[in-house]
Amino acid sequence: MANVTEAADPQPSGHDDHGHAHAHPSFLAHHFDTPVQQFNAAKLGMWVFIATEILMFGGLFCAYAIWRGLEPDIFDQAHHFLNKIMGATNTVVLLFSSLTAALAVRSSQLGKRTETSIYLIVTILCACVFLVVKYFEYTHKMHLGLLPGHCFGHPWFSGAIENGKEVGTCLRVHADGPTGSPLWVRAVDESGHTRLLPPRANMFFALYFVMTGLHAVHVLIGMSILGWVLYRNMKGEFSKEYFTAVDLGALYWHLVDLVWIYLFPLLYLVGKPE
Amino acid sequence: MAADHTHEHDADDGAVHSHVASVQFYVGIFLTLVCLTVLTVKVSYYDFGEANIAIAMLIATMKAGLVATFFMHLAHDKLFNTLAFISAFLFLSVFIMLTYDDLGRRGQVDWVYGGTVDPRTGLAAPGGMPATSATIDDVEGEAPGAGGGNEKGAAPNEPKGEAPKGEKKE
Repeated sequence: MANVTEAADPQPSGHDDHGHAHAHPSFLAHHFDTPVQQFNAAKLGMWVFIATEILMFGGLFCAYAIWRGLEPDIFDQAHHFLNKIMGATNTVVLLFSSLTAALAVRSSQLGKRTETSIYLIVTILCACVFLVVKYFEYTHKMHLGLLPGHCFGHPWFSGAIENGKEVGTCLRVHADGPTGSPLWVRAVDESGHTRLLPPRANMFFALYFVMTGLHAVHVLIGMSILGWVLYRNMKGEFSKEYFTAVDLGALYWHLVDLVWIYLFPLLYLVGKPE
Repeated sequence: MAADHTHEHDADDGAVHSHVASVQFYVGIFLTLVCLTVLTVKVSYYDFGEANIAIAMLIATMKAGLVATFFMHLAHDKLFNTLAFISAFLFLSVFIMLTYDDLGRRGQVDWVYGGTVDPRTGLAAPGGMPATSATIDDVEGEAPGAGGGNEKGAAPNEPKGEAPKGEKKE
């Protein structure tokens, strides 16, 4: 008879052995005692994951530090091929998306479902804007022949024409060895000067493409995560009591922003000005 | 049981009580971040020599601090989460410093030939980068329509190890 009473109770009184009565809601996994315990465990897990992400990017920052320490002059020349204005625009776009992600969490904390959805959609749209700007930056570098490794100054790109003007020429010169002639690249930089880059300047562009490329992959993953959170939010899975996924999804998005905050000055700004 | 403590962290009613900041506060943080972005771009048009990177990194760290503290809620979060986050930078700095100390001592880069050279012997440094590049003479000789003389940013004619600063001024 006692069993029947408990089953009919819409809010069962939880585990008797804990000695205090609280609701055991549907979102609470059975191995957690309380929602706050579940929430704190999820947050700690996310922060440890963020630490591993920083260390993953850390390998690239290390490569950057060494290469820059060895050849500051090449860095200085090559960085003039990055457009500061486009980089700054993307920084502001990402910062704004971080703001909307934080506001999505806030709305979720207050149990405002529609508001949360709107903020999440704006965040995802900002991510799209970021990737479109990146697309134009990448395309321009490719037209100039500024690609990493053996693709640097590849003859396929020689004499690239943009808007009726030649923007890049690749020069084939003597090789030290029998194969793989190094190519110098003569190209017009972002301030309109023609520069001649030595073959090993490809290292700068290798770093540029790998660092921003890995970051762009994170943008794509972040968009998928936020899209999934948006879907769950629209299904009505979140409430004032349970918004863990919104919070953690936003934390991932802020991490994407954090990485870019360092990538932008390191790649676009640190050389000598014209 | 815990009705008196519901606004404290870990109030023992078991529910999640997180800090909710106002919209104006978040917008204020965003505007500060935008101002710092504008500042770092403006500053990059002036040359402070070696301090360029230090200034850029200082501003970036201020921005990252604002994002982590307020957007990522570390200010109202458990201290242990902050420690997990900070420890990543600690390990990262150990990683970068030890690697830099190792590779940074494997000779100096020869400006013309690109490889690392041991300054004591003048030979290729063990464990350093191999020499791959050709000289500027080769470029000038073979370039299609070369000789514009507009490539002051490129390598000087003689292998000097490191180019004098004056030659590279635009």
